[in-house]
Amino acid sequence: MSYFDHSATTPIHPLVMEKMNSTSESHFGNPSSIHTSGRKAKSIIESSRRMIAESLHASSNEIIFTGSGTEANNSILWSLIYEKNKHVITSSIEHPAILKVLDSIAPFGVTYTKLPVNKFGEVNPRNLEESIKDNTGLISIMMINNEVGTINPIKDLIKVAEENNIPFHSDAVQALGKAPLSVKDIRADYLSFSGHKFYGPKGVGFLYKKNKSKLNPIIIGGGQEDQFRAGTENISGIVGLAEAVRLAIENLDKRILHLEKLESEFKNKLLQYSSNVIFNGHPDKHAPGVISASFLGKRSDILLAELDREGIEVSSGSACGSGSVKPSFVLGEMGLSENQNTSTIRISFGRSNSMEDVNILVNALVKFTNV
Amino acid sequence: MSDTVIVGMSGGVDSSVTAKILKDQGYNVECVFMKNWEGDDDNCNAEEDYKDALSICDHLDIPLRSVNFSNEYWNKVFQHFINEYANGRTPNPDVLCNREVKFKAFLDYAFELGAVKIATGHYAQINESENQFQLLKALDANKDQSYFLYLLGQNELSKSLFPIGDIDKVKVRKLAEDYGLINYAKKDSTGVCFIGEQKFFKEFLKKYIPVKPGLIHTIDGKICGEHDGLMYYTMGQRKGLGIGGGYGLKEEPWFVADKDLDNNILIVAQGHDHPSLFHQGLEADQLHWINEAPKSSMKNISAKIRYRQDDQECKITELSKNNCKVIFNNPQFAITPGQSIVFYLNNQCLGGAIIDKRF
Repeated sequence: MSYFDHSATTPIHPLVMEKMNSTSESHFGNPSSIHTSGRKAKSIIESSRRMIAESLHASSNEIIFTGSGTEANNSILWSLIYEKNKHVITSSIEHPAILKVLDSIAPFGVTYTKLPVNKFGEVNPRNLEESIKDNTGLISIMMINNEVGTINPIKDLIKVAEENNIPFHSDAVQALGKAPLSVKDIRADYLSFSGHKFYGPKGVGFLYKKNKSKLNPIIIGGGQEDQFRAGTENISGIVGLAEAVRLAIENLDKRILHLEKLESEFKNKLLQYSSNVIFNGHPDKHAPGVISASFLGKRSDILLAELDREGIEVSSGSACGSGSVKPSFVLGEMGLSENQNTSTIRISFGRSNSMEDVNILVNALVKFTNV
Repeated sequence: MSDTVIVGMSGGVDSSVTAKILKDQGYNVECVFMKNWEGDDDNCNAEEDYKDALSICDHLDIPLRSVNFSNEYWNKVFQHFINEYANGRTPNPDVLCNREVKFKAFLDYAFELGAVKIATGHYAQINESENQFQLLKALDANKDQSYFLYLLGQNELSKSLFPIGDIDKVKVRKLAEDYGLINYAKKDSTGVCFIGEQKFFKEFLKKYIPVKPGLIHTIDGKICGEHDGLMYYTMGQRKGLGIGGGYGLKEEPWFVADKDLDNNILIVAQGHDHPSLFHQGLEADQLHWINEAPKSSMKNISAKIRYRQDDQECKITELSKNNCKVIFNNPQFAITPGQSIVFYLNNQCLGGAIIDKRF
């Protein structure tokens, strides 16, 4: 099998797996218990929290563990229903874990403005500035788009938020492991992350919440995570998450270099052999190894099936619940024609892909798309 | 590599057994799940069905792909369905769905995916003789679905397989159980697929067609009640008229005998055997023959004017390219405009047409 869908999810890193397994084997205690087993479990969670905080140059009390990146996004948005200023500014190509949530909380008085994106998928900071209202209580704009990999001018956007004294959240799920991530540098109030996007486990994520930034909890119960997110902690998941963050940050330059190499090799080879390919997204400002490619005249669902038969896994558009492929709204917002939209696939390389894999992929694409 | 057959997989017993039989026969089998209806507010079970399809295909080690034909369904089937109801007729969307979606959009898609044949879990049989493909009834007469397939032509039949057409349903379920398929006991789907159970029908139509209530008349022109809109009633309908059996001279139930569309009046008759509920003949249009058109003098022709009706002996008295006139040997109860009349010669389905008028 050749796997080129790392923006969807990644396999667990062997070192992460090792830590998770040994934690599961040895530590079953409830971190809220005060006996030895409980204290040990709690201490494991707290050292994981410190590890993540150090990696991102944050403080420990700024890291809140959640069940997913989606949950981190939800907690930020649902928190608004208790606030006075209920207007949100977001972008038109956010993940459904932002856009659908905003629709869901409309009955609680939350309104929102969706900023357009340019043909590369970037939000313009000037548009943000102009959209601010008296009751704007949050700006939520993704760091890296999941379908085309375009990196938003996040620091410029945050600057606008700071000047207007409005809290800024960014869905950074696609960013960790592909772009530098220090909260000293990216001064957002809130950031959402998901473990399985950077070789950690599924079912665990975290929210970075800057000290003193407000958060009204939505999951209430036994008071875990400083009252911000109740529920007995997923100890081995958290251990794996922390290890995955550490590895991602420590090896960031190496990983980026590897992904960039694969990407340029892939693009060069493909352009050499294929006459009808178009690359979408920003040519420079995009996540390394994430490629949105349109093969005009070739429907993406057919191409996906043909690749799947050869054991090559990529993705297209956003798959909806029952698995049917529809035109991608992200590509639509970027102004792609319906034809180009439905002939687009996403290739996302990962750490275990090799140059040999690139050749396999290019050969298959050429075979199936050259008409 | 062996020939690729692509199975239309619904997540039900019939298509699952179909896929397994073909795989055992040595074909390279792939399945495609079709999503033909959008909307969260309806009673559509697409999500559950997809999960079943996924589990079945995983169990059988067959790749499953998905495709969305909701645009095709909406434009080619549903619009027509609504128009017919708005005109007081009773359409049959499954017949059109077969022609426009399963044996057109899906067939084309499957061939694009590299299939040499498609297969479905329909209960019907295909017989090839002298380069002609005939559509035959299923072995299980009780389950025969040829009525819904009469709009297929040579092209479609030549590219299709119905592997369970010669197996009875009880045996199909037994096979499903033997194969270890989780859905062997799953209920057969009934009713119109996108509406679900009959009880939701009124509510559903109301969303798409303005409601025009009016009066109910007896066959002699006496007012005997009010109706909620002619579209809600079908010929021969007994339930839901709001007229007690006690009304009238006899203690017998009332039936829908006719619709006066110009005056928005529903006409009812008392007693199942009332002569106004029976007609000797009908006119039909949108005629389609699977093989060449029969001569109007053709003997031994029979027809069904609704699904699962016994074949009724008849004669085609007038015949043109698109229209026909049919006289039955015995008068027929509740001939319903908008429904299909499907012609048979013994076991063979010849084709059919849409009922327009009765006389």
